[in-house]
Amino acid sequence: MLTNPLTKNIGAEDVATDLQTYRDSDGYGGWLRALKMSPDELTQLVQKAGLRGRGGAGFNTGLKWSFVPTDRRAHPVRYLVCNADEMEPGTFKDRLLMERDPHLLLEGIAIAAHAIGAATAYIFIRGEYHLATQRLQRAIDEVTESGLIAGETTSLDQPLQIYLHCSSGNYICGEETALLNALEGKRAIPRAKPPYPQVSGLWGRPTVVNNVETLCNLPHLLLHGAEWYRKLGRGEDSGTKLFGASGKVNNPGLWELPMGTPFREVIEHHAGGLRDGLTLRGFLPGGGSTDFLGPQHLDLPMDYDTVRKAGSRLGTGTITVLDEATCPIGLVLNLSRFFARESCGWCTPCRDGLPWVVEILQRLENGEGTTNDIELLREHTARMGPGNTFCALAPGAAEPIQSALKLFEQDFIDHIQGGGCPFH
Amino acid sequence: MLTITIDGEECEAEAGQNLLSICLARGIDLPYFCWHPAMGSVGACRQCAVIEHKDEQDQQGQLVMSCMTAIRDGGRYSVDAHAAREFRGGIIENLMTNHPHDCPVCEEGGECHLQDMTEMTGHTVRRYRGPKRTHRNQYLGPFINHEMNRCIACYRCTRYYRDYAGGSDLEALGRNNQVYFGRHEDGRLLNGFSGNLVEVCPTGVFTDKTFSRHYVRKWDQQMAPSICEHCGVGCNTAPAARQPGRPGDPWLRRVTNLYNRDINGYFLCDRGRFGYEYANSPARLSQVLERDNVDVIGSSAGEGVLSHREIPPGEGVEAFARHLEDQGPGKHLLLGIGSPRSSLENNFALRTLAGAEHFYAGLGATDLQLLRLVDTIQRDDRIRSATTPEIEQADAILILGEDIDNTAPRVALAVRQAALNHRRQRAAELKIPDWQDAAVRQLPAPPVPIIFVGWEIPPLADCCTNQMIGTPEILVSFAEAVLATIRKGSGDKDILPAGTEASQDSDIGEVATETAQALAAAKRPLVIAGCGARQPGLLRAAGLIATALAEKKGNAVNTYLACPEVNSLGLVQLLASGDMHLERLQGIVTEARQKGTAVTLVVLENDLSRRLERSQARNLLAEADTVIALDHLPNDTTRRAHLVFPTAATPECQGSVVNSTGRVQRHYGVYEGIGFIQEGWRWLADALSASNQHSDSADQIRSWQHCDDVIRTLAETLPVFSKLPAVSVTVPEGFLVARQSHRASGRTAIGSARHVAELPPPEDTDAPLSYSMEGIHDPAASTLQAMIRAPGWTSNQSIHQFLHGINGPRIGRPEPVTLQRTTAPLPHWQSVELHGSRHQPGENKDAKGLLAIPLYRLIGSGELSNSAEGIASVMTEAFAKIHPADAAALDINQGDEIQLSLGETSLQLQSQLDFEIAPGVIGLPCGLPKFGDIAALLPSQARIIRVIRYGQKMEGDDC
Repeated sequence: MLTNPLTKNIGAEDVATDLQTYRDSDGYGGWLRALKMSPDELTQLVQKAGLRGRGGAGFNTGLKWSFVPTDRRAHPVRYLVCNADEMEPGTFKDRLLMERDPHLLLEGIAIAAHAIGAATAYIFIRGEYHLATQRLQRAIDEVTESGLIAGETTSLDQPLQIYLHCSSGNYICGEETALLNALEGKRAIPRAKPPYPQVSGLWGRPTVVNNVETLCNLPHLLLHGAEWYRKLGRGEDSGTKLFGASGKVNNPGLWELPMGTPFREVIEHHAGGLRDGLTLRGFLPGGGSTDFLGPQHLDLPMDYDTVRKAGSRLGTGTITVLDEATCPIGLVLNLSRFFARESCGWCTPCRDGLPWVVEILQRLENGEGTTNDIELLREHTARMGPGNTFCALAPGAAEPIQSALKLFEQDFIDHIQGGGCPFH
Repeated sequence: MLTITIDGEECEAEAGQNLLSICLARGIDLPYFCWHPAMGSVGACRQCAVIEHKDEQDQQGQLVMSCMTAIRDGGRYSVDAHAAREFRGGIIENLMTNHPHDCPVCEEGGECHLQDMTEMTGHTVRRYRGPKRTHRNQYLGPFINHEMNRCIACYRCTRYYRDYAGGSDLEALGRNNQVYFGRHEDGRLLNGFSGNLVEVCPTGVFTDKTFSRHYVRKWDQQMAPSICEHCGVGCNTAPAARQPGRPGDPWLRRVTNLYNRDINGYFLCDRGRFGYEYANSPARLSQVLERDNVDVIGSSAGEGVLSHREIPPGEGVEAFARHLEDQGPGKHLLLGIGSPRSSLENNFALRTLAGAEHFYAGLGATDLQLLRLVDTIQRDDRIRSATTPEIEQADAILILGEDIDNTAPRVALAVRQAALNHRRQRAAELKIPDWQDAAVRQLPAPPVPIIFVGWEIPPLADCCTNQMIGTPEILVSFAEAVLATIRKGSGDKDILPAGTEASQDSDIGEVATETAQALAAAKRPLVIAGCGARQPGLLRAAGLIATALAEKKGNAVNTYLACPEVNSLGLVQLLASGDMHLERLQGIVTEARQKGTAVTLVVLENDLSRRLERSQARNLLAEADTVIALDHLPNDTTRRAHLVFPTAATPECQGSVVNSTGRVQRHYGVYEGIGFIQEGWRWLADALSASNQHSDSADQIRSWQHCDDVIRTLAETLPVFSKLPAVSVTVPEGFLVARQSHRASGRTAIGSARHVAELPPPEDTDAPLSYSMEGIHDPAASTLQAMIRAPGWTSNQSIHQFLHGINGPRIGRPEPVTLQRTTAPLPHWQSVELHGSRHQPGENKDAKGLLAIPLYRLIGSGELSNSAEGIASVMTEAFAKIHPADAAALDINQGDEIQLSLGETSLQLQSQLDFEIAPGVIGLPCGLPKFGDIAALLPSQARIIRVIRYGQKMEGDDC
């Protein structure tokens, strides 16, 4: 039984699968099957299969599609947008998929476009992903030329057009509505929701924005069915996922594993444990904008809801490991600098709050901290909480800080009382 | 109506509104920044956070942004909740991390929304210890200062400038807390509504640069409601004055917007905001002048210019009085020349003094004809004059020939808002509230049909769905085709009127059909035309189109017919007959002189050189035995007058004016003019009182003490003004409205360099307003209070506290007063009356000839505002605009000096080649200094006499 549908075409050699090779291993078979289904059936299938958004939020993909108005006459133009602006600190999963198996993404895009009735799809790709851009464009050219996803074969009135758009580089473009603004040539600032993009998205048309990895799940889901897909997971969630580990581990990298694989297995088995005999103090489970978890959480299965219950988010599933010899405040400062710089400047708690957080953390590191600073940081993270800001950037930025304040409070106190960073 | 609970108090509120609007309308102090009543919500600043409780059991609730929260029936909200207060305090604290502590030297201080909101949240102690971000500022032109360090990034400026006003040269640049609101490079902000940034910005990033030169704090200003005198729209303003404390300081300090829902709402144009400086001009007339007996020899001042000397006002009045005596054939004939930029009081006084049969409009025949056409059309009861909110709600607009961006700017700004109406409609279908500004703007919807017909692509072009750019002849043919299609009520192209050259043009036919269909299909169509185009045919066509639409729809149709000046429509009502124009006056003067009658011309606030071809005007003045001029500033006419009286400018006096829609409004004196300045009617009354003339009308004038006396007589004399006394705002017996705030400072000190004693403030004999801090201060208690502020709300943002609901009418506002005109259906104008006899098709066959037509500029075409320092510094250079195809045929290059003749007149102007102007015409600027009389000559055939190549001089040219 196939256990690694996402990476089955990815070998040791750094080359992209071409169309022929891809087709030879059942490539575009899912797409051909999707064509035989009505958009409604397709949406229900994906919803039933329990595919959840791999961008980090974990929202049911089929459910997301179902919010697109079904009245085609009232809404003739729809768009599918692939979010390939992978800029989450510590995350590099979409890159692998795009660089090595670009057709998998294109097939997924074709399926999703068929489900929502979109004749145009955009891939909004991170500007620094030069190689992925190059390989994707070649794949788009190949598949367009082949006519596989175009013309008579589709259920659409017109051939599916896939456009590749290189971002100019802005973390906020990963936020789906800011991405849409950027794609329209406007300032990359998020939009107010409601209206949700499914109703009024790109150029005001119904639009679905899906992450690269999410879309890559579709071909084999279609090919092997919802039941098979559900069983791929080890726990509550369906399917497999690319999990990664970075930090001071022996073997940093990326592995396709079933949903529900415990953290310990990734860190200790696949990543080979911590190097130089270091011990683990905590870890960010899924990118820079998730709450720290501690060693007591190592045996939790990596499911969206389980991790949420533990006080964090699965996020992108790429773990960043914090060891005992690394200053947690330095780590948080580094992340906060990134988020402060990447704030789009639209709403106050983020734009003016994050630089202030950086200022405080920097002072702690410099030995200029005061006892009020811990309280002040807590105030800031509360103010940047979900719902208080315009989008999820600041709440995400607040997560490592607020959890560090909980898990590593003594380190903060030591920084203040000891007149600086004890790790230096 | 929904029932909601705010902090335990149950209240009713209109469904579909956002919670912030409701809280503000209820007088709750809820701080906000990015929201603006005219621009809706975007949820950027997070300042207006409140707690929303799910139900009675939900004690904790959830933090929501009130501006982005649509109320729900039974909703429970708390503004006062600790969590909400704490959050709002934190937001202010965040905003203040980079805001400089420069309030004492910041010009926004004392009327700063940021100050108010900071006080409101109670943020007093600074905890941020880091350095503040700093920016470089830009030069944004002579009107607006830029101080980016003060910016709190509320995004109101770019939302206003780009989204609301259609500007393109101000944007948000950069990101994070470095976001910068500025231009791509230093330079003047080019949008004609840029001045509103000063009021839109909640703090001191954008401030009024003209005001900086003679700055005073808001609490030290004295204010009274006024009417903008720079065009016919009649925007309400709040000019601010203060006694000069320093040498060189003027009385009048600045102009800000005064909310009037039906006309200007929250916004003014730049001419209206920055044109005030003419009143401070060093050239202002402040003394009575008499012709000096010394001849001006070899003067370069120009032919007929007299030298003057100052005389005591009493002497001047006596000299004036002598001309009022011995009236009659063979003796004296006194003729009054009124003015469309002077108040009803002044014009009526002159009419009474001279007698209705001797009172002339002070306009050329064409100008008067155009105004009378507007009046005639408005008398048809199938036509309504649209208010600004009505313009904003139009769902199809036809603009016939009028460049409203430059002749009635506030109307153009309203048209711009109408362009969004289909999006609002679409939003309603998708259940998106219309205040969700960003969401509404991005919805795809077919554009609202806005069809512009004219000879130059207008600034409004970006929101026009169709433009017909052509010669006046083509435009009239187009209008005719639209009319014919509406009348026939079908889209059939064959019914275009036969026989006109243009109707054979299929392009015109198609656009005309589309236009007619769009207007016919619209629920709220609007037809805009005006006097600026100087095409009676287009005005008539506008009237006919509107009435044809009304017939079809069975209800009155909205129009906006732009009149050029502040009281144009009022002046027309005062005329004894339709031909009281200057050409006729000229004949009367010549005739009288031939019969040996001595002619005295009394010219009221009017420069005849802008009304007639200059030499013609000069001849008229030279032919009269005596010219008595009354005006604010010296001009071609006052320089040729034997007696000159200094009159009060609009902000210096009370007066009533009629705007383009027939609404009568009153302006009040903000300060008393310098020197011997007083109202025109007072000079006339003084002269009459000093004379021995006795008649009913003379006695009437003698009895006038107050402005209201003049108004009463006018209302009794002319039924069209019968409602006029209702314009007077009354205050409770024994009270006055204070022009100064209760904390006006320096009352005893400001004049101490001149007098040790504290002199009593002057009295206002006309209005129930005091020139002091004593009296009514609350803007809710009297609409005469122009200083808009409330406890805790020092800036103009406080206006919502004095309105019936957000964007509603002002509390206590009396019913608007309009002219009481008798209604009459439009005449059945025929095709020939639309086309006129002056320019027959095919006449323009002369290779060297083009039809000269008028062009207007917001900055440059205003007579008074051109004397304002800021405006004068960026005045458009005179030009002649030609289509490159015509230029090629005539061998004219960009920048060449063209000498051209318009009838008797010869002009030399620099050529400007531009694809934006119609082929076959040459556009000449109206109203620029030195070219003030061009408008009077247009339209007419221009003959190009010679072309002087750019950078070269013609041989024998001595200039």
